Amino acid sequence: MVGVKMAAAAGASIRERQTVALKRMLNFNVPHVKNSTGEPVWKVLIYDRFGQDIISPLLSVKELRDMGITLHLLLHSDRDPIPDVPAVYFVMPTEENIDRMCQDLRNQLYESYYLNFISAISRSKLEDIANAALAASAVTQVAKVFDQYLNFITLEDDMFVLCNQNKELVSYRAINRPDITDTEMETVMDTIVDSLFCFFVTLGAVPIIRCSRGTAAEMVAVKLDKKLRENLRDARNSLFTGDTLGAGQFSFQRPLLVLVDRNIDLATPLHHTWTYQALVHDVLDFHLNRVNLEESSGVENSPAGARPKRKNKKSYDLTPVDKFWQKHKGSPFPEVAESVQQELESYRAQEDEVKRLKSIMGLEGEDEGAISMLSDNTAKLTSAVSSLPELLEKKRLIDLHTNVATAVLEHIKARKLDVYFEYEEKIMSKTTLDKSLLDIISDPDAGTPEDKMRLFLIYYISAQQAPSEADLEQYKKALTDAGCNLNPLQYIKQWK
Amino acid sequence: MAVDITLLFRASVKTVKTRNKALGVAVGGGVDGSRDELFRRSPRPKGDFSSRAREVISHIGKLRDFLLEHRKDYINAYSHVMSEYGRMTDSERDQIDQDAQTFMRTCSEAIQQLRTQAHKEIHSQQVKEHRSAVLDFIEDYLKRVCKLYSEQRAIRVKRVVDKKRLSKLEPEPNTKTRESTSSEKGSQHPSRESEEKPATEEYPEKVPAESQPELGTWGEGKGDDELSPEEIQMFEQENQRLIGEMNSLFDEVRCVCGFSGLLASVIAFPEMVLPQEAEIDSIHQLVVGATENIKEGNEDIREAIKNNAGFRVWVLFFLVMCSFSLLFLDWYDS
Repeated sequence: MVGVKMAAAAGASIRERQTVALKRMLNFNVPHVKNSTGEPVWKVLIYDRFGQDIISPLLSVKELRDMGITLHLLLHSDRDPIPDVPAVYFVMPTEENIDRMCQDLRNQLYESYYLNFISAISRSKLEDIANAALAASAVTQVAKVFDQYLNFITLEDDMFVLCNQNKELVSYRAINRPDITDTEMETVMDTIVDSLFCFFVTLGAVPIIRCSRGTAAEMVAVKLDKKLRENLRDARNSLFTGDTLGAGQFSFQRPLLVLVDRNIDLATPLHHTWTYQALVHDVLDFHLNRVNLEESSGVENSPAGARPKRKNKKSYDLTPVDKFWQKHKGSPFPEVAESVQQELESYRAQEDEVKRLKSIMGLEGEDEGAISMLSDNTAKLTSAVSSLPELLEKKRLIDLHTNVATAVLEHIKARKLDVYFEYEEKIMSKTTLDKSLLDIISDPDAGTPEDKMRLFLIYYISAQQAPSEADLEQYKKALTDAGCNLNPLQYIKQWK
Repeated sequence: MAVDITLLFRASVKTVKTRNKALGVAVGGGVDGSRDELFRRSPRPKGDFSSRAREVISHIGKLRDFLLEHRKDYINAYSHVMSEYGRMTDSERDQIDQDAQTFMRTCSEAIQQLRTQAHKEIHSQQVKEHRSAVLDFIEDYLKRVCKLYSEQRAIRVKRVVDKKRLSKLEPEPNTKTRESTSSEKGSQHPSRESEEKPATEEYPEKVPAESQPELGTWGEGKGDDELSPEEIQMFEQENQRLIGEMNSLFDEVRCVCGFSGLLASVIAFPEMVLPQEAEIDSIHQLVVGATENIKEGNEDIREAIKNNAGFRVWVLFFLVMCSFSLLFLDWYDS
């Protein structure tokens, strides 16, 4: 319910647009021009957790360095004064952040301040900052203040999520729980609408909005529509008539925004998956394109038997730059394993080629007689040397995916996820079932209690008519035996 | 798309000011605000570090401007068709090279000094990190500018080597070219020595001990002092590889010369064969004609012999008949 996939609009993808906007912000809001003999300019980047989540999938530390950022720090950490350096702030305009910024102004930490707010700041908060700046006599130090309208996190070329820090605030539970008050609902809606609005400002297009009636989606759609209209009414200051937007693009290619409430299809998020990216997300710790693995070092049992295995924590980034990931993130898992094998084979072949050339070159270096062979080999050696960085990169990717795939495989084996997947597929496509549901639930080593609950819920949701009371009692007993909590079942009953 | 609300901010500052004045609240310097700002600025240490860093950057910028300004002349003046205005003599070029090198060395020394000093003075972790990052940026800038310089230098060196190799391939007839190259070598010797000295001071292992002029030029061609040991090694390896390539190309060309001689002789052969074939054909025709004629002649002779024989027979018969008739007439008359 919080992930939004966008149909490919004309022009640059949303990821590129957001990256360009960030780079421009880091360049003191002047469009960034690459100059190979330009003087270095250094600056310090201060962000809060929201800013960090937005920047981390898009720009690596090296890219930040390239833009001239020497230090990147969290807003609410202890920061020492660094003289003579401009500071770029990228924060949400909340109370604590504003207070901290005023404190910085008073302590005169940096030479000049470029304030960028992730979403629009209200007039009163702006006056708070003005007050603090006046008090600290630092008004001239505040060089620029910008509203960036970047309040969304882009994970891939055409997929973004609304927020990561306060996920629970805009989650399904928050909207649908029975004890929600009107004000809380309003805040949740406002957050969602704000993010969507920022998204469309960055995209530079006004969407056509369609939603299903009578659901939370309709509330969001109405609010978003109102906000867009308000903004467009003021033609001079409208956000949508910028230099990034051609008139033709505006009028002919408006994207379609379809807002769908999750209640339409509750079974899919509970479904056990079989494709690579979905498995990684389901089984491992995967946030913001980063996987955190706990690797147990060494499969051999320690002979003493008492020493526990050491676990190394490793984290990998799965970015759109990773070609293997891009190709196989939607493939079923066995295909992924095969492809990793293939990549490994081709990598080994190339490595052998390079080694062979190295040995030949070593031999031929002393013998000047074989002229043609030498020139041919120098050509091959040049190509091998130039392709060496590619080879190393390939090796790194293969290692990464081998580790990730192995971790996923271990989980699959432990929890028998393939059985669940097949069974759920059969349930959801309403074909005949070869194994009884009760068998699977009572099977002690087929997955965690959560898995069993998920399976049962899917069965319950997709059943044409509700199972009889006796059956239900039987299932409940089996589930409790397996250690499941029965609360989800109550909710689904209510929902039906 | 970002919205610039700096003006809004300044407006808010004004409103706050007026509001505070209206409320009579001391803001920590209403009228004295500007003076306070000035006072507050001056006692704050401007930062030796940043001012010196900016100095180094401006120096490097000057070097870059200088190199770019003279770059066109440096490269283009090899076409001797150009007018006197645009030409740059070799000594001028060497001067540029030397100046650039000393400049680069002083800049890198300054950076090193700044680095050691920065680490000594300040104890805050963040400031240290920031300063080392700044110094990295400056070094990177210097490297980029040095790249400009070394590119120019590489082009020039490559041209000289090419010229020498061309002159080597035609030994006998071009004593003139040899003289010109030797004069060029002569002009290069004093410059090379002067450049080898600073280069050898810094990196004695870089200049190889061979006396071959090619390798000598290659060795000094990388007179850039800012190379780290790995880069030196890489360059050496590249050198060796390029030497091997050049040698192989040279040998190939020699073989090709030999082959082309053979080819020439081979090509001449068919040129002789064709007229010979025509002649042989005509002779053949003649011979065939002659044989025919002889055959016919034989036939004629046989016929003639036959005619002759027949004629003789008739003559004899006539004579015998005449004599017999005479005899008969004689017997008749007596």
